[in-house]
Amino acid sequence: MSATGIGASVKRKEDHRFITGKGHYTDDINRPGQAYAYFIRSPHAHATINKIDVSAALKAPGVVAIYTGDDIAQDKVGGLICGWMIHSKDGSPMKAGAHPALAQGKVRYVGDHVAVVIADTYAEAKDGAEKVVVDYGVLPAAADPAGAAKSGAPQVHDVAPNNTVYNWHLGDKASTDAAFGAAKHVTRLDIVNNRLIPNAMEPRAAVGEYDSGMDAFTLYTTSQNPHVARLVLAAFIGIAPEHKLRVIAPDVGGGFGSKIFIYAEETVSLWAAKKVGRAVKWTAERTEAFLSDAHGRDHVTHAELALDASGKITGLRVHTIANLGAYLSTFSSAVPTYLYGPLLSGQYAIPAIYCEVDAVYTNTAPVDAYRGAGRPEATFVVERLVEVAARETGRDPAEFRRANFVTSFPHQTPVVFAYDAGDYAASLDKALALADYKGVGQRKAASAAKGKLRGVGLSAYIEACGLAPSAVVGSIGAGVGQWESAEVRVNPTGSVEVLTGSHSHGQGHETTFAQLVSDRLGIPIENVSVVHGDTDKVQFGMGTYGSRSGAVGMAAISKALDKIEAKAKKVATYVLEAAEGDIEFKDGKFIVKGTDKAIDFGSIALQAYVAHKFNGQ
Amino acid sequence: MIHVSMKVNGKAVSADVDPRTLLVQFLRENLRLTGTHVGCDTSQCGACVVHVDGRAIKSCTTLAVSNEGADVLTIEGLASGGILHPMQQAFQDNHALQCGYCTPGMIMSAIDIVHRKGSNLNEHTIREELEGNICRCTGYHNIVKAVAQGARAMAAPSGAKAAE
Repeated sequence: MSATGIGASVKRKEDHRFITGKGHYTDDINRPGQAYAYFIRSPHAHATINKIDVSAALKAPGVVAIYTGDDIAQDKVGGLICGWMIHSKDGSPMKAGAHPALAQGKVRYVGDHVAVVIADTYAEAKDGAEKVVVDYGVLPAAADPAGAAKSGAPQVHDVAPNNTVYNWHLGDKASTDAAFGAAKHVTRLDIVNNRLIPNAMEPRAAVGEYDSGMDAFTLYTTSQNPHVARLVLAAFIGIAPEHKLRVIAPDVGGGFGSKIFIYAEETVSLWAAKKVGRAVKWTAERTEAFLSDAHGRDHVTHAELALDASGKITGLRVHTIANLGAYLSTFSSAVPTYLYGPLLSGQYAIPAIYCEVDAVYTNTAPVDAYRGAGRPEATFVVERLVEVAARETGRDPAEFRRANFVTSFPHQTPVVFAYDAGDYAASLDKALALADYKGVGQRKAASAAKGKLRGVGLSAYIEACGLAPSAVVGSIGAGVGQWESAEVRVNPTGSVEVLTGSHSHGQGHETTFAQLVSDRLGIPIENVSVVHGDTDKVQFGMGTYGSRSGAVGMAAISKALDKIEAKAKKVATYVLEAAEGDIEFKDGKFIVKGTDKAIDFGSIALQAYVAHKFNGQ
Repeated sequence: MIHVSMKVNGKAVSADVDPRTLLVQFLRENLRLTGTHVGCDTSQCGACVVHVDGRAIKSCTTLAVSNEGADVLTIEGLASGGILHPMQQAFQDNHALQCGYCTPGMIMSAIDIVHRKGSNLNEHTIREELEGNICRCTGYHNIVKAVAQGARAMAAPSGAKAAE
């Protein structure tokens, strides 16, 4: 292992620019002659747009242009998409309501984009927006997810009767019902997993630019996955084909899922840049982040757990209403389905599970993947049920969990996943020891004596992360692959550039990925650069979310390093005049086994470039 | 337009600005000192903290013209001659940042804490004093360690020089 390889304690390579104020976040980028965009947003949850009068605003100081949904439609700019197809239990595809980047005819949530004002300065754009008069016809709104599918509820999209996006299910209903029929005890719970707002420190931002000479666009954007943004903007929204569109996501100040998605604001900023012939910059205010960043969670669930006389779990039945908001955000449909249902077995051996999810539209901000995305929601359901079941049946919650843990592997759950290995009891033992679980009673009594309350909470968690390429991902509806790209470039003097499709928004890839290279090639991390976040530099990529960049992104780099090592070995055979099988690579050196003949990695790199020793071969 | 002039990171600067220009906008947009960040626009998150006449302020909540003639220090002005300020070094040493967006404000606040409370800071004091700075990557534990280390280093003879 090198001194800066995997496992070594190193200082982060990216920190120097961040601690000296030299980071490059999207709002730090300014293009010559840029104009600024300000979005007029709906103050109503649900309303028709009867008329938009922009005449006074167009005369306001500094205002360059004002665009509405009609302009977007006229230019045939496609709507925003949801890239994960979910089918209902009757086989019908999900009902995706149109999602224009600027509302057409109707607004469907507070914050929905009505028009954009473009001006010489941000202040002038905002001032101009105050002079735009929008005549709304306010409609009753569907805000409560539990009531959204009921008859009489206001309808959000005509294409989705009863506000229903899909009625999805997973598991075996008949065997689960049978388990409940034979149960000695049934625990029933109604659970709300409230909506939340992701709130990365860096607000979303975009700078769109159009080069008329090249007929090409550039978008700087706060994105966790710039290649997917380019793909969607090119293939679906149709602003420009991929080879005429460069998407750059520079330093990104946190995302938590909310910067995975392709939003109206970057779409409009890019499109408008060509219209006005100037770069167009937009940066969200925090209020806008609250209104229109995709929110998280928002489930209303009824769940039931069946037990036999000995306290073994025999069945789990879950019905969840998932609020997807007013429009389907980029990956929203997958979150309460395939990122949720398959996690419902938790760490427990449950013979029968049946899960139904009704996804609904409401007149609220769109909901999509946020921190864990579906999986924490599943854990919350399972762990609340287990805790309450233990208490209802007079069992110790820790021991009740232990008695129901999966103990033999591989274990096939009734909900897609097979667990290959685990030792849940060992983790529980460790946690109980660390928390002095045995002493809880004593501490509780001591607290009570002082007039205070003390409680204890337990949770066992299982995660499915590191989404990777597989036939399964396609079969469950993913519109994109889940692989990752890596390119390792060795320069003539032996320094290395790693081009990765993963994109850090705080994870420290520039350090961790460099450590992998350091480990494999025996060079210090200072000699390794990680290049990411630019579709013109990196061939393709799926981006960073769901804890996948270490597992999938680094695996791709490792595969690329295999090729580098194999090629370097081949070069070494010529330089060292030895057979390939006699050469070993160790601590950054190619050595002829059993001799003192050796050459370091940097020298091999130079030999590869000059090619004097192996010309033509 | 109104004329404003001040000293920023030791250099005299001036510009004609819209009277409503905030100090943070003046720094970021007129001077292109983009190390000072805006996270919340409402003086809650602390990403915009700079020093004005030696005191930490939230630059998103003061007008540029209110700071006429002031001596302003931003994150860009801390390191000198390629040597990091001890508080910057402490943030690097303690892995006190992840996405880095809150970091400039954290560092500027941390130095201000040392100026006001001295270099021997206990954990409770640091946590209480950082109330006005939010890290959404939730790296507070390492930030607290960094502030304690940076404070001690600022008191050391070499650190005191760099901290001037």
